[in-house]
Amino acid sequence: MQNGITWKNLAILATLLGLAAMWIGNAPADDDAVFPMPRGKTLLSECGGCHTAYAPGLLPARSWRKMLSELGNHFGEDASVQEPVRLALLKDLEDMAADGAFADMRMRRIAASVPANAAPQQITETAYFKFIHDEVPKSFWQRKAIGTPANCIACHPRANEGRYGEREVRMPQ
Amino acid sequence: MKRVVLIASLCAVAPVFAEAPQQVLAALIAEAGGKASPMQGEKLFRGKFTGGKSAESCTACHGDDPKVPGQHIKTHKAIDPVAPAAQRDRFSDPAKVEKWFKRNCPEVLGRVCTPQEKADFAAYMISVK
Repeated sequence: MQNGITWKNLAILATLLGLAAMWIGNAPADDDAVFPMPRGKTLLSECGGCHTAYAPGLLPARSWRKMLSELGNHFGEDASVQEPVRLALLKDLEDMAADGAFADMRMRRIAASVPANAAPQQITETAYFKFIHDEVPKSFWQRKAIGTPANCIACHPRANEGRYGEREVRMPQ
Repeated sequence: MKRVVLIASLCAVAPVFAEAPQQVLAALIAEAGGKASPMQGEKLFRGKFTGGKSAESCTACHGDDPKVPGQHIKTHKAIDPVAPAAQRDRFSDPAKVEKWFKRNCPEVLGRVCTPQEKADFAAYMISVK
């Protein structure tokens, strides 16, 4: 075997460097907050019709169970859906909840930030949400295009795909 | 020749996915007993009501111009324009049309909409150019 700088060794080096670059480029960054979303369109069309299609991993399963049992009075509105639709939504929400079997580190932190005897109905109530948004001034939330901290998609353009990564944040004026 | 056949078959398949607003409107008019008034529909769209649960008018969320996106008064989510002239998939899926009448009429009127009101409302939205 020939040592030193040969075309073959250069080619091997270039290939390895290229593969490493592709690998690094594809690796999720630490701040990539990506939550799993259900495959079907039900959550997007039923929940996402009126507000951001919040990712199931943003609340523990007991919160979703309580919410889906009270859809007739959903924050003052009648958001009831047909029973098969409700059951399908509930299954996805439970499966992918913050305390679900497949929850990642971030989701577990969210679940851990909720007291065991509480079933918060608002993501913005959880200690994790407050902690992660503590640098956002009150005046930001009041901008017309945002209006409320519950309007995730105003600043997280791909919130409906479960993507809340900090680098994607766009603050509307 | 192959391309012609392909395009022709695409044209034949396309209507399966969505109905034209005119078809949806025709069904609503049939339900209402044969007549629809775009003017009455506009009155309903712009009217102020007191019986509603969360909004006093349709325009509270949908805005004054049905060709411009609106914003939900509570969640502040952006809402696509209601007029098919500005948002092509509006009034193309009867189930969706029914769903939103069922959801939104009680919020504004405090009751469900009559078949006549639905037909009028659709007739107005489709007439917006």
